[in-house]
Amino acid sequence: MTEVLSAPLVVEFPFTRSVGPVQSAFLTGLRERTLLGVRAADGTVLVPPVEYDPATAAELRDLVEVAPTGTVTTWAWNPGPRRGQPLDTPFAWVLVRLDGADTALLHALDAPDPDAVRTGLRVRVRWAAERTGAITDIACFEPYEGDVMVHQAPSHSGEFVGEAVTGIVAPARLDYTYSPGRAQSQYIRALSGHRTVGERCPSCRKVYVPPRGACPTCGVATAEQVEVGPRGTVTTFCIVNIKAKGLDIEVPYVYAHIALDGADLALHARIAGIPYDRVRMGLRVEPVWADSATGSRYPDHYRPTGEPDADYDTYKELV
Amino acid sequence: MSGASASTRVAKEPVAVVGIGQTKHVAARRDVSIAGLVREAAHRALRDAELTWADIDAVVIGKAPDFFEGVMMPELYLADALGAVGKPMLRVHTAGSVGGSTALVAANLVAGRVHGTVLTLAFEKQSESNAMWGLSLPVPFQQPLLAGAGGFFAPHIRAYMRRTGAPDTIGSLVAYKDRRNALKNPYAHLHEHDITLEKVQSAPMLWDPVRYSETCPSSDGACAMVLTDRAGAARAPRPPAWMHGGAMRSEPTMFAGKDFVSPRAGKDCAADVYRQAGIADPRREIDAVEMYVPFSWYEPMWLENLGFAAEGEGWKLTESGVTELDGDLPVNMSGGVLSTNPIGASGMIRFAEAALQVRGQAGEHQVAGTRKALGHAYGGGSQFFSMWLVGAEPPTT
Repeated sequence: MTEVLSAPLVVEFPFTRSVGPVQSAFLTGLRERTLLGVRAADGTVLVPPVEYDPATAAELRDLVEVAPTGTVTTWAWNPGPRRGQPLDTPFAWVLVRLDGADTALLHALDAPDPDAVRTGLRVRVRWAAERTGAITDIACFEPYEGDVMVHQAPSHSGEFVGEAVTGIVAPARLDYTYSPGRAQSQYIRALSGHRTVGERCPSCRKVYVPPRGACPTCGVATAEQVEVGPRGTVTTFCIVNIKAKGLDIEVPYVYAHIALDGADLALHARIAGIPYDRVRMGLRVEPVWADSATGSRYPDHYRPTGEPDADYDTYKELV
Repeated sequence: MSGASASTRVAKEPVAVVGIGQTKHVAARRDVSIAGLVREAAHRALRDAELTWADIDAVVIGKAPDFFEGVMMPELYLADALGAVGKPMLRVHTAGSVGGSTALVAANLVAGRVHGTVLTLAFEKQSESNAMWGLSLPVPFQQPLLAGAGGFFAPHIRAYMRRTGAPDTIGSLVAYKDRRNALKNPYAHLHEHDITLEKVQSAPMLWDPVRYSETCPSSDGACAMVLTDRAGAARAPRPPAWMHGGAMRSEPTMFAGKDFVSPRAGKDCAADVYRQAGIADPRREIDAVEMYVPFSWYEPMWLENLGFAAEGEGWKLTESGVTELDGDLPVNMSGGVLSTNPIGASGMIRFAEAALQVRGQAGEHQVAGTRKALGHAYGGGSQFFSMWLVGAEPPTT
């Protein structure tokens, strides 16, 4: 029984967002320590503001200003803050209805322990020292000794001194634990010994490299191991002229589909050891294994074997 | 049970397209949020149909992977922008073919008499996306992908060229045609007024045999349609397009025996659509085609896959001018994906442009006398297909 491999997979991008006119005013307002909402068709004030009426779908543009104080409508204690959360000490997630608003805003409340938090608690905004026009311009909320302010939510033009915020950058990160499964674990281990091992479908007899543990055509499990290659045939290719992000390969280079001898579908790899403009369909190639110091189990590239080219008819079913 | 259900089987409700709306597709719509973008297309479709939000019974929305814009399940926050509060709202996702399959899911709701009038919409905000590398995640133990989207498709194009003996210039003819067609389409992204065949042919190779000039742009845009039943069509202010057939097919990304040049799923999908529409000879009976051509060479490849030409002969239709706007079988009158590519919306734009043609509403890129038009989309590793055939007359079966 092969031990199944497992490793962390982190997916991370800084996404950009155009925020549109209403969120633009809201975020610019935060930068200027002003809280804006929008008045819906039925007169209610929505904070944070939205572009379209939740009930009638009408376009909403009637901005109003609300107070930096409010009331907790509900809450949940967060005993272990994680990366990227508003505070790095335990805090309460709170929904705060700001004075003058009819809906609640989600944010963090800085409180020493859950006993200090209750629905109905009066809170106020603690502004971040440096503000950029983002929800994090509100550092958090904090308890506040004061009554509900009678607040009429006066109209606001949405215009502020300085450039309006039109977009934000939202870093997104997902943490996975990736496991390639039984079949691919065996394949990957064999690569470390410079062997390429696929699996044969018991039904259609096709040899899959890399193996997936099942035949996608027949829908049956595969187990019979078959060593293929090491030599193979270039079935088709392209010449890449764009430098790939994060890859230390000089362009142009050849990206080829290679049918290893004995395999029933082609795998993809780089061709080197021959001028890029001399690579052709039918070229016979063999792997050049990566220096083990690089940590890669895969062939660094394939190079010509010097054999005569394969006849098109011998590989055309694999193109 | 099957006997009983067959004997009580009721014919499908005919489906009509009565409203079509698009945004002006551009490289970046920094002035609007995603909500603002979809709203614009939906609003135009409603205006075309002379309907209001209250007339819509359900909303079916599609886009490419969430990871492109990094908004998980964006439909959740678009309900108010699309007037979907209190109504069913569905999200469809089938990679690049999603715009087509979204329209088909909406059409099936009408055909099955689940809803009378459905708003369907697809979008992508590529300027805020990470499409090229968002699909190339650093999966542990796997070899890094070496080439991006173009590098995935370019070897299959080379295989097509080898298989058919097509001259090297065919791809450039497609790009030159589509970019000129786009000049007649006010919604198209690329408007290259000074385009010449020489310019197309002298552009640098990105993924040889694919030139820069023969690849699609990256666009922000949305497309919406209002689909309705016979009663809705009778009330429509402008001529509707009628759906005569629609189908989707899927197959794995890779399997032993997969034909990347002419995938089985594409052939089967087209055959199903033609059977439903009573088409025996697509080349003679279909007047115009909007097909998903993100790299120029996919025009001749799909001409064969969709049965407009025999295997190995597709490039001859392109070379002889048959697919030109004034040709015998115009292809991508709108300028196609080569001129406009908000990925999630691209399939729906094909479907909508086919409908515009049979409605006689395509404006400067209208092909006179179009009675039947095919809309086609594909996605993933040539593994998801969706197509519909629309006609100027209601279906007879």
